[in-house]
Amino acid sequence: MIADLVIALLFIGYAISVLMGFGTILTWVERKQAAVMSDRIGANRAYIRIPFTQVKLVWWGLFHGMADGLKMLLKEDFKPRTYDWYAYAVAPWVVFTPVLLVFAVVPFGGNLTPAALWAPLGEWFGDKSYPMQIARLDAGLLIVFAFSGLTIIGAMLAGWSSSNKFSLLGALRAGSQMISYELVLGLTVLGLILIYGTVDLDAMVRHQSGTVLGFLPAWGIVYQPFAATLFLAAAIAENKRIPFDLPEAESELIAGYFTEYSAMKMGLFMFAEFIEIAIIGALFTTLFLGGYNLPWMSDAGFALPGGAAVAMPHGAVVVTQLGTFLLKVFVVCSFQILIRWTLPRFRYDQVLTFAWKFMLPLAVANLCVTAVAVWWIRS
Amino acid sequence: MIRDFLAHLDTLLLWGFAACAFVSASLMLVLRQPMRVALALVSCMVFLGGVYGLLGVHFIAAFQVLIYVGAVMVFMVYAIMLLDPRDESATAKYSKLLWPGIIGFALLAEALAVGYWNDLPHAPRGALGEPFDIARFSTAFLTEYWLHFELTSVLLLVAVVAALAVIQENRRHERG
Repeated sequence: MIADLVIALLFIGYAISVLMGFGTILTWVERKQAAVMSDRIGANRAYIRIPFTQVKLVWWGLFHGMADGLKMLLKEDFKPRTYDWYAYAVAPWVVFTPVLLVFAVVPFGGNLTPAALWAPLGEWFGDKSYPMQIARLDAGLLIVFAFSGLTIIGAMLAGWSSSNKFSLLGALRAGSQMISYELVLGLTVLGLILIYGTVDLDAMVRHQSGTVLGFLPAWGIVYQPFAATLFLAAAIAENKRIPFDLPEAESELIAGYFTEYSAMKMGLFMFAEFIEIAIIGALFTTLFLGGYNLPWMSDAGFALPGGAAVAMPHGAVVVTQLGTFLLKVFVVCSFQILIRWTLPRFRYDQVLTFAWKFMLPLAVANLCVTAVAVWWIRS
Repeated sequence: MIRDFLAHLDTLLLWGFAACAFVSASLMLVLRQPMRVALALVSCMVFLGGVYGLLGVHFIAAFQVLIYVGAVMVFMVYAIMLLDPRDESATAKYSKLLWPGIIGFALLAEALAVGYWNDLPHAPRGALGEPFDIARFSTAFLTEYWLHFELTSVLLLVAVVAALAVIQENRRHERG
């Protein structure tokens, strides 16, 4: 029982440090990738000088994240005279907490058997095996949507309680945009649920370690390429980033719903946005890119298309799965940042028209086609 | 020590969630400012979701948060934000009926405790049989309870039509 607790705390610690790490790294990736894309050198001015020497560590501007964090912690914590201080204080946390909670149901690795990893651990853990996931719930995907719905309330609360017209406009935009795109997001994954026959994210990943047509990995993106595109677009809109950043469009609304927030409270909004990039990456990886497995790989090792099978020791499998998951998430994050620096912002009416008149019908059409195909193949 | 704590962790969490749900439900009743009432209702529903989750029906917990908070409460918060009800009449922090309400509730709770608490059957732990997972739920939902569900949606449709009719009636008065 205490062994279970240790494993649970270990997984929770791993998940939080991965998310925080991604949140910090992505602020740097965003700057550096923007610089590469527009043929600049980019962030390279923050450095740490080793004491008593003239050696300056620049490390491609990685320390800019540290400078940002310090700045946010040390800035004046400005408090506007607002109508409802309680809502004002609680709003950043209502935005930030659900974003972290979503990761609880995302599997970041296969099964972990401590005894097979290192023999002395077996005395304590026995031959128990733990799925590398904080909470293995049968309602996995539903939990994801339940928690991500909470952030809408946080954004609206922040804008309303700031007693600022710009904030209120931003909150209005945030509310209507996020409600519209959450619907699309839900409809795009319904096709996958039909194919896999489950909403348990771990079962979905296991389903994807097989093959289609004998050689293609049975990833969600192979079954549902159309849904994958729609999902990614709707997820970026849900995260309110360019080209969908109307709620915080700086040329129109200063900073939208968090205009009146300063110092680390504003930092929480920004950090939540960057962590959500990683969460979208993790969800996209889990649903469409085979999760923590390499192509043709499962917990036992590789089963290559030619019929050849390569068995792997347990430790190698665990390390490969953890690494593969992080790498895939990072690639999807980088792709999102690529989109952010490529496309210009929509007009506000275009954003809502795009959701209701373009993406929603496409998602429904995709669902209908999938349903008919699944019914035809199974019967 | 830790072993005992872990063995009773479920019960402790259940009581914690239940107490939080109770407190936020009471706050929803006694507070006056609309946005705080909405927030109290949101937290009540989230804690109720926690209670459902601890009882082992995770998808009911997910639906609780997804539908009531993610859909219903989002629209309520949206409406409160748009109406912006900052009039002076709502500045009293608590409802005027706070004390009568508390006394009434205490009497009711005592009557219930005296009359029913001891007669309640004790649910034996782990006697639920196989877990009520989403597959069993879906089968029961689509075979036995679909008619109830459809009737409820018809009821909601009636409510929408009624709301529209009320608005139309008001508009006619304003014009004529």
